[in-house]
Amino acid sequence: MSGDYKFNTLGLHAGHTPDARFGSRAVPIHQTTSYVFQDTEHAAALFNMEVGGHIYSRISNPTVAVLEQRLAALEGGIGCVATSSGMAALFLTVLGLCSAGDHIVSSSQMYGANINLFEHTLSRYGISTTFVKPNDLAGFKDAIKPNTKMVFGEVIGNPGMDIMNVPEVGKITAAAGVPLVIDATFNTPWLFKPLEYGANIVIHSLTKWIGGHGIALGGAVIDGGNFDWGQNDRFPTLTEPHFGFQGVNLWEEFGPAAFITRVRTEGMYNIGPCLSPTNAFHLIQGLETLGLRMERHMANTVKMLDFLANHEGISWVKHPNLPDHPDHAIAKQLMPKGAGSIIACGIKGGRDAGRAFIENVQVASHLANVGDAKTLVIHPGSTTHSHITPDAMKAAGLTDDLVRISVGLEDFEDLADDFNAALRIAGKVAGAAK
Amino acid sequence: MKVMVRGQETFISTGGRAFDASGNVLLFLHGSGQSHLSFMLQGRFFANRGWQVLTPNMPAHGLSEGAALTSIEDMADWVAELLDVLNVASANVIGHSQGGLIGLELARRHSGKVKGLSQVATALAIPVNDALLGMAENKEVAAIAAMTDWGHGRDGHRHDHTMPGQDHMNYGKQLMAANETGALFADLTACANYAGGADAAAAVTCPCQVILAQKDKMTPVKFGLKMAQALKVSDPVIIAGAGHMLPSERPVEVNKALRQFFEVN
Ligand SMILES: Cc1ncc(COP(=O)(O)O)c(C=O)c1O
Repeated sequence: MSGDYKFNTLGLHAGHTPDARFGSRAVPIHQTTSYVFQDTEHAAALFNMEVGGHIYSRISNPTVAVLEQRLAALEGGIGCVATSSGMAALFLTVLGLCSAGDHIVSSSQMYGANINLFEHTLSRYGISTTFVKPNDLAGFKDAIKPNTKMVFGEVIGNPGMDIMNVPEVGKITAAAGVPLVIDATFNTPWLFKPLEYGANIVIHSLTKWIGGHGIALGGAVIDGGNFDWGQNDRFPTLTEPHFGFQGVNLWEEFGPAAFITRVRTEGMYNIGPCLSPTNAFHLIQGLETLGLRMERHMANTVKMLDFLANHEGISWVKHPNLPDHPDHAIAKQLMPKGAGSIIACGIKGGRDAGRAFIENVQVASHLANVGDAKTLVIHPGSTTHSHITPDAMKAAGLTDDLVRISVGLEDFEDLADDFNAALRIAGKVAGAAK
Repeated sequence: MKVMVRGQETFISTGGRAFDASGNVLLFLHGSGQSHLSFMLQGRFFANRGWQVLTPNMPAHGLSEGAALTSIEDMADWVAELLDVLNVASANVIGHSQGGLIGLELARRHSGKVKGLSQVATALAIPVNDALLGMAENKEVAAIAAMTDWGHGRDGHRHDHTMPGQDHMNYGKQLMAANETGALFADLTACANYAGGADAAAAVTCPCQVILAQKDKMTPVKFGLKMAQALKVSDPVIIAGAGHMLPSERPVEVNKALRQFFEVN
C-alpha cells in the first residue's frame, strides 16, 4: 500500500534533490568544513536545533546527509548518522546507550574488532559484555540483565557464517525492553532489512558491499525509530535531560529520533568520527548500483559454490546456502536471495597448500577486506593466524586449511580458470608433503 | 510538561523552554493519528523566539494517557479544559488537519480563549473514505502506511529532509505507530462525522490565517480555499510542491508564514 519508491530507485534518488541554482544531477561534493550563516538569528537557530542545516562538517555535511538519508530510506529507518568507519558506527551506538556499570549481550561469532571492542576496550570503561552463540535463543534470553542496554549481533557472522535468527532474538529483546542492534554489513539491505524483522538499530561498515569499489572507508548508524525508550527507566541517556540544548529531553522532544539525535549531538560533537564529504560521494556512487551488484555477487556465489563443491582440491565448503550448513534453514527463510557472498573452504593439504593457493591466484586479490567488486581471498593460517597451532585455531572456530573468499563480479569463467590454476599448484604442494 | 486533564496524565511539549502562562501563548493542535512530534520543527523555533509554546498530545496520542476522544466538539472542549488547567486565558491557535477542525470548534464554543487562528492544511470538513476507515479499524499498520504515503509530497517521497540524515516517511510511520492502538480510528471517525465546520467558521470573530499545501492529497487546496473564504481570509498562503505534512516537510515556509501572522496578532 505504501507508495515508497522501490530499492533501486531509492538507491539512485533518495536524499537528494538537484539544487535550484545549478541543477547538478550528481550529488555535489561539499568539500567544506563550515557554512556561512545568513545572520545571527540563523546561527542561533542552527545551534538550538530549531531548524535544519549545517554548522560544521564534524556534525553534518550536505553530501554526507544525502548518503545518510539514502541509507535510512533503504533500511526503512527514521534517520542515519554516517561515520568514518564501521567501527566508529558501533562505538557511537554503544556510546549513545551505555555508561559505566552497564551491560551488553552480544553474539560470540563476529568480526574480530567488534569482539575486541566489547571484550577488551569497553571493559576498561566499566561496560561488560556477555557473549552468546548467535543461534542460542535461550542463551540470549538468559543473558539479559537489568543493566543490559543493548543486544548485538551480525546477521551473517564471522568466520562460520553463522546466521542470527533476528526475528526470534527480536521477540526476546522486545519482551525484555532492550533494543536489538544489528551489524548488517554482510547482508546489506538488498538481502535482508533487519528493521523489518524486530531489530531497532542497524549499523554498517560502508567500506564493504555498499561502497563496493574498495576506495573509501565509512560506516553508518541507522535508527529504526521503533523502540520505546520511555517504557522503563533503563535509558537515561535518552530520557533524562541532555547536557546540550538547554537540557533537552531527547525522548520527549524528538520521539522516534531520540537515539539518532543523541548519536549526532554527543557522538559527533564530542567524539567526532565524521565521514569526509569526498568519501561520502564515493560511497554514494557505490550505493547507486548496490542492487545490480548484489544480484551479480549472488549469481557468482552460486557458481562458485558449485565449482568448489565439485573440485578435487577442495576438502570442504561452508556457506549458509548449502544444505549441510547448520543454519541453512534460517538462512533460507531470512535471505531467500542468498546468504551473502562470503565463502569459507578448505584447501586439501592444510596450511602449506592454503598458502600455495593464496600465493598463486592472479585474478583474485590476496588482501584483508570483503565486499569489493573484485574477488578477494585470504588464508588466516598463513597470515593473521600464522603462529597459532592448528589446535588453537580450531578452538577459535578456524582450521589451518581455511581460505575465505569474497566473491566478486568478474566473469565467472575467469575466476574458475584462476582458481583451477592456483589449486593445481596447491595440489602439488599437498602431494609433495605426503 | 505533564498535567492532569479530566483525571488523565497529559503531555504537552513546550518547545524545550519552561512555560509561562502570562506570555503570548501559541497552541499547536495536531492532526489525526499524529502527536506533538508533527510540530517538531515549530515548537523549538517559536519557544526560542519569545512565544510560550503548548503542543499537547490529545488523549491516547504520543505520551498522553486516557482514551481517545471521539468527536471534534469534545476535543475542542477538552482543549479548553487544558487551557483552564494551565491558567491560560487565551491563546493563538494553530490547527493542522484535524487540529484545524478542533481549532474551528474551539473558536466557536470557547471564543474568548482564541486570540488568533492559523489553519494549516485543513478544511471546513475532512470526509474520510470507507476504505481508510476500515483499514484504521482493522489493519492500522496499513492505514498508517497509506496516510504517510498520501500525506507527504515531493520532499517526503525523495527522503530529502531539512534536518540532516532524517527521513520524513519512516519517521511519520513510527510517530503514528507510537500512539495507542485505536486512536487513529477514533480520530478519523471524529473527522468523518464532523459537520459543523461551516457554522463554526461563520461564528469565528478572531483574526485568521490559512496555510495550504499545493500538493495536498488529504485536504486538497480547493477545500482549503473554501475554508479561507468562510473565514474571510483573503490572502491564503499556498506552499508550492508541499504535501499535507507541511509542518515537517516545509518548516521554513510554514514558520515564516506563522511568524508573520502572529507577530502582528
Ligand atoms: C561485519 C563487520 N562489521 C564491521 C566492520 C568494521 O568496518 P570498518 O573497517 O569500516 O571500520 C567490518 C570490517 O571488516 C566487518 O566485517
